[in-house]
Order: sequence, then C-alpha cells, then structure tokens
Amino acid sequence: MCADQTILANREGLRSGNLSPMQQVRAAGGRAPDPHVTGGWLSMQEYADGEEVDFAIVGTGAGGGTLAAELAEAGFSVVAFDAGPYFRPLEDFASDETAQSQLFWTDKRIVDGDNPLKMGSNNSGKAVGGSTVHYAMVALRQRPESFASRTKQGFGADWPISWQEMWRYYTKAEDALKISGPIRYPWGPKRPRYPYRPHDLNAAALMLAKGAEALGIDWTETPLATVSAPRGKSPPCVYRGFCRVGCSTNAKQSALVTFIPRAIRAGAEVRDLAMVGRIEVNKDGRATGLHYHRAGQWRFQRARNVIVAGYAIESPRLLLNSATDRHPDGLANSSGLVGKYLMTQSNQAVFGVMDDEVRWNKGPPSLAITEHWNYDDRKDFFGGYIHMSQGPLPVEWSSVLTGSKGLWGDALLGELDKYNHQVGLKMVGEMMPQERNQVTLADEVDQYGLRVARITYSWCDNDKAMIKHALDFMQQQAEAAGVKEIFRQKNDTNHLAGTIRMGADRRTSVVNADCRSWDIPNLFVCDGSVFPTTGGVNPSLTIQALALRTADRIKELSRRGEL
Amino acid sequence: MSFQPLPARPERTLRLLDSLFRRNKPAADPARIALDRLGRSFERARATAIVAARPGLPDALRHQPLVSPRKGVDAARALNRASGLLAFSVLTDSALEHYRGAFRNKAMFTPLATSALTVAASLHGTTDQRESAHLFRDVTYALAAVTGLVGTAFHVFNVGSRVGGFRWVNFFYRAPVGAPMAILISGLFGVASERLRREGPGGRPTVFGLGAGRTLATITAGSMAGTVGEAWLLHFRGNFQNPAMYIPVTIPPASGALLMDAAIRGGEKRRTAARASLWATVATGIAGTFFHAYGVQRMMGGWRNWKQNLLDGPPVPTPPAFTGVALAGLAALDLLEGDDA
Repeated sequence: MCADQTILANREGLRSGNLSPMQQVRAAGGRAPDPHVTGGWLSMQEYADGEEVDFAIVGTGAGGGTLAAELAEAGFSVVAFDAGPYFRPLEDFASDETAQSQLFWTDKRIVDGDNPLKMGSNNSGKAVGGSTVHYAMVALRQRPESFASRTKQGFGADWPISWQEMWRYYTKAEDALKISGPIRYPWGPKRPRYPYRPHDLNAAALMLAKGAEALGIDWTETPLATVSAPRGKSPPCVYRGFCRVGCSTNAKQSALVTFIPRAIRAGAEVRDLAMVGRIEVNKDGRATGLHYHRAGQWRFQRARNVIVAGYAIESPRLLLNSATDRHPDGLANSSGLVGKYLMTQSNQAVFGVMDDEVRWNKGPPSLAITEHWNYDDRKDFFGGYIHMSQGPLPVEWSSVLTGSKGLWGDALLGELDKYNHQVGLKMVGEMMPQERNQVTLADEVDQYGLRVARITYSWCDNDKAMIKHALDFMQQQAEAAGVKEIFRQKNDTNHLAGTIRMGADRRTSVVNADCRSWDIPNLFVCDGSVFPTTGGVNPSLTIQALALRTADRIKELSRRGEL
Repeated sequence: MSFQPLPARPERTLRLLDSLFRRNKPAADPARIALDRLGRSFERARATAIVAARPGLPDALRHQPLVSPRKGVDAARALNRASGLLAFSVLTDSALEHYRGAFRNKAMFTPLATSALTVAASLHGTTDQRESAHLFRDVTYALAAVTGLVGTAFHVFNVGSRVGGFRWVNFFYRAPVGAPMAILISGLFGVASERLRREGPGGRPTVFGLGAGRTLATITAGSMAGTVGEAWLLHFRGNFQNPAMYIPVTIPPASGALLMDAAIRGGEKRRTAARASLWATVATGIAGTFFHAYGVQRMMGGWRNWKQNLLDGPPVPTPPAFTGVALAGLAALDLLEGDDA
C-alpha cells in the first residue's frame, strides 16, 4: 500500500471507526453502517452459525436486498450474505471514476463464444446492495406481451406469471423506491402515476426529444430510481452525474440505502465480505445451510431455507459448485437447464457532436427515453428495444473511443477535446434466449478456491437484425436532431438474465413461479437469472417486482405450512 | 383595521421624494401639509385624552377608533403594505432565480428594478395620510403591473419554446409561469390604493368607480387563486413530500373563498370567518418562509452549502406573497364593514 492510500485508509478509519470496507468487515459486533449518516451505525441483530435461521439469502442486490427486508419485516429470521463490501456512500464514494471501479465484480471469469461478454462495469456489482449501487437507476416495466413471448409474440418462452400480476408488483416496487417518472407514460396500458415527479432534462436528453419530435415518435422523461424531492434522509438529486460509479449523496434509491436499512431495522443480519461457496443438501434432498468465507475462514450457517440471489453468473455458479454425489450436475438441475439460456441485452449506440455545448455528464446518464420500438410491432425481428440519451464520464467515454472506435494517441486526445459537445443514443435491446449461451464451470479457481464461471455467448441472427435496425434508427434520429460526426458503437452489451429460468413445467425450467426450485423445495432463486425472456427494458425493476411477489408467496406458503 | 400614523421623521425623507414629483399639486401644497400635521396632532391629543379619561367613558366612545376614521386612506395604506410585502418577495425571489438563470436575457433585470421601486413607493404610501393619489406611486404601481403582465408572457414563452412545448416537465423546470403574477398583483393593489385615497360619492370609498370593498375583495380572491396555483404547481413538482406542503393549497384558497362570500353575501359572521381565515393565511406566509428554510437544510449539504442550496432548494423569499395577498384581503374586509346597513 502506497503512502497516499495508507493516509486515506487511516483517515477513513478514524471517521467511521473502521478500516477500508474492502479489507475489513463492517457489519459485525451488533451493528452495521448507517448509509445515511456519516459515521453512523444501525444496531443489528446477529445470529450464530449454529442457529438455524429461517432464511439464508445469498446476495443483497435487487433480488436479495428486497427479500431480506420483506421477509424480516414479516417476522422471519434472516441472514443475508454479500461477497462485497459494505460501503458508506457519504464517505467512501469519490468523484473519481478509476477509484470507483471498487464497485464492480472484477473477480476472475472466463469468457468465450462468438461474441464474448465483457464482464464488470455494466453487468455485475460487488457490494452490499449489489449492482443497484452502480446502476443507472432506469426503472422500467416490461411490456405486457413480454411475459408471454411464446404465445403472444412467437419466440422464447412464456413466464409462469401473468402480466397483470407483474404489473401490480411493479406498482409496489415503484412505490418502494419512490421512482421519479413522467406524469403520463406514452406507451402501454395505463399505469398509476409515478410516486415522484420527473427530473429535468439535460441537453443530452433534449437531443433525444428533438430527434423524436422530428421523426414523429413519442418520447418521455425516463423513470428513475433517484429522488427529485427529499425522501427521508435522501436529499434530492443534485445532478453530479456520478450515478454509475456510486452516488455519494444517497439521492439514488439503491438497495443499499432502501431495502438494506429496512432489513436491518426489522431484525435481519447482513454479512459483508461473505462469499458463499456452497449450499449443503441433506440426504432428504433439502438444503440445510451454506458454506461461506468471511474474515479469512470458511464457516457454515444453518438455515431452514436458502434463497440464491447472486445474478445470472454467480447464482448458477453457486448451484453448479454445490454438486454432490446425489446431485452430480449441480443442485436443482434435474432439468439440465442450470446455467443455460444466458441472455444479455444489446447496448449499441450512436454518438456524435452538437454545435452547442452539451455537457452530457451532468445529471443521471439517461434522462430521456423512447420505448417506441418496444411497442411498435412493424419490424422484421423478434423482441424490442428502448433507446435513451447518454452521458458517460470521461474515462468511460475514452474507453469507448479506444475500444469501439479504435482511437489512440493524438487522434484520441483530439476526440476527447469534444467531450462537452458530445451526445449519444444507446439502446437496451432484447436478446433471444438460446440454450447454447451459458454459464458453466471452468477448471480454474478464484481467490476462494472456487471454480470460476465460464461464460459462453454468441449472438443469433435475430440479435444482429435488431442491432442493425436500432443503429439505423438511432442514427436517423440523431441526424434529425442536428448531430454531426456520427459514430456507431457496434459491440457493447450490458444487463444479464437467464441461466436459472422459471416456468410452469419442471422439465423445461429450474424454478416455478414462486422462484422455488422444482427439485429442492426449500431452495429459492430470486434475481435476474430466473427470467425466461429478458424483454427490451433494463431488468432491475422487474427483479424487484419479482422479489416482492416472491416475498408475498413465501409468506402465503408459510401461513399454509407449505414452506 | 386602523393604523397609527408613524412618527414624523421618516416622512421627512419621503417628502424629499415628493419634491421630485411636484406635479402632484395637492400633495405638494405646504398649506395642506401643515393642515395634515395639525390634524394629526389634534388626533393624537384626542387619543391621549380618551385614553386618560377611559375608565369614565361610556362603551360606545371607548371603542371608537383612535385615529381619523377616513376608511379610504386607512385601507389604502393597508394596501400599500400588502403591495410592498409582495414586491419585496418578488425583489428577493427574482434576484435569486434570475441570478440562477445568469441573467441570460437582459430583460431579467426588469423585475428587480420595478419591484425595488414598488417597495419604495409602498413605504412612501404607508406613511402617507393624505386623501389623494401620488404620481410617483401611481406610475410605479402601474409599471409594476405591466412588468407582471410582460413577465408572464416571457415566462410562458420560455416554457413553450423548449422541445416538448407545454408539457409538465417544462412547466416544472422552465421559468415558473405564475411567478411574474406576484408583481402584477403588487401593482394592482398599489393602483387600487391610489384610487381609494379619493373618497367616492357619498363618502363611500370606490375603486374604478365601483364599491371599494367588493372590488378589492374580488382582486384579492383572484390574486389568491393565482398564488395558490403557483404554489400547487411547484409543490406538486416536489411531490408534497412533506405534509406541510399542503397548507398553502388549503388555507389560502379557503380564505379567498370566505372573503368572496363575505363580499357578496355580507354579514358580520361571514366577515369574522373571512377575517380569521385571512389571518391564518398571513401566518401561512410567515411559516412558509421557515418551512422553506428547513427545505434548504434538507438539500445535500444543507445550509453549509448555502451558495448552491439557496438557488436549488425551495425558494425562501416566496411564501410571504401569501401574507401580502392576505393583508390586502383584510383591508378589503375593513372596507366591507357597514356595507350591509
């Protein structure tokens, strides 16, 4: 550790009575950091390893964090594990993109296939609160037909839950996060008014709006999980623009500042820097607890039920790594589908420059959106996509210029000079679920001695057709808004889904509509990995809606004695 | 309501202002001023005598107003106060908000100038006991009203000119369409006050040739509705996140309605109800200032970061606009007294 880092670590240690959250556990000794108060603590109930808790939850992000709060508030004993650190946003988050890579899951993984995924910044987080600590807060509902893609749209698979039910839980999730959204949403069935009013548009968003009006399509302010007015101890957003590398004001309604404090206040224990390596199953085929690595040693927590919420790479990896003689292909894998049907979302973009100064980094990155191509079915491919205005920070932008545009040296510097005039439109597109896209185990092991994930990904023709359509359309829209020097970023992808799909038939799915394993009745999986199809919108709100539904179902099953 | 005359000293400086506007003959007439003074001295002497003799006086005399019962002038001065308070609110608010907008358009200086003049005119009027309009004040108030109208047009244009036009997000974050109305109202109250200073036929004060009480009540109720509309829009934008944000969209409209009720149907009970609700609105304006100061504290960094949060937080200077409008309403009520008979 160099001198500067030592000083920083010491200063922080003095402030919060703790060393760097990356090295030392913070949620211990009967207390956990209060993310809303500098140096503040929440008193936290703790459970002994030998005590059989009602629920052991793996992961504290959109799925796990939500369930921890809901189940603890329902009176269950809950311990939630996260491999990542317990950050204090007010103290730990620097206005420095490089330093903030601490939020990403950058552990070793192997990628292959025709279109290998780039893992890290925009698809996996490692922190209490999960990826919601660094996500762009875009909170969208999937189109009703997306929950029955097979029967209504002719591709993929149907969800085992009706869209009406999912939309009811979307309403609850939106309220739990006080989503700031438009007064009238232009697409789809009528939805209740968003709990908070929309944010103002920055110049980058106005470009999208101008282009949309020129082409005669609808646009609106993006529904976002960052408050536009005070909420409790969250001040309204001040438009710093550092959302994707950690919000240091707590305006962002991440799981870290919403569900986690709720969970702890309701009696849940959260264990930071606790990597779960293996779920134990007894000879009756029931889970009995889990092995986790914390503070330098492997431990075993007993539990009546286990919920896996580690997202589309780590969740299947955990199930596969938990293989035993009785379950040689991994847990809950009688269908053989654990790890299969991995999906990402296409994240291609067009970028260019405006004559006027734009300063696109000001404010949340995507303040304006159009869902036109999710709802307009006059297209020659399956699925749909949204596109939104953009505002990458300088380091991220330079990585686009080097990685996607291939610039280096003087050419790169010259292009970076245009930063304050830069604008962009970026898609989030639905990729097809393909069995060949999958997560398997590699022979190599990580720092915990666990076999790492091998992630195989190839685009299909439909994916390529959609990307081409989106790039053409976005370019047309940008040009209509007066954007010059247009460059098409053709290679980016982001959010993940699939790998532990839910369904109505145990032969073609891993979990049922309650996110409960068909094989192991006290094992649940609740995160993006259960999505049978990924839809053309950012997945976080759908995961949270699903977690709220799963919590209700668990309460119901418990009442009926069927847990 | 009747107001005690202020001590003579500030008047001397204000009379300097008078001398700049000599065309207003009656006001500048030294004999008239001397008479005024004499009259006021007499009033004071009478008041002192009454107070001294108070225990022995019959009830009817004791409750007589202590100052000259020239209702028109008293009401006019009350309106000067209302107008001045509104103008002060506009002065501070437009200074903050237009500074925030970097005075991008030179016209953005206009409300600062006219509201400052209006504050001066109102201070002048408040201390002026004379039964005549004053050219400086009259012109200033008219200018304020025009500024309000033109400003509203500017703000409406600002909302509509951004992509998306008249959609909610532009009403929320572009120039607030209701804000220039405050200086329009301030000007209207001022112009009305100048008219009031002349007794109408039969000794009943009039404004624009109509019964002063009802006319003023109507202007006040209209102003209240506009001010409430502005508060509603911005509190809706703030999602009524604090229940106190409902106060300015409940109490003031109720007081406006009660005032209209008292003006149209008359009766002591209705006037009492209106008076109580208007005082509640006066209090709403004052409390609002403190609530907004608390709102600034709830922004990131609170008052420690005042340079940013005074601009981005809830506007501290705006709530007294309610107090100003309510004061005008109270003056209207005074004029309505005895209308039933």
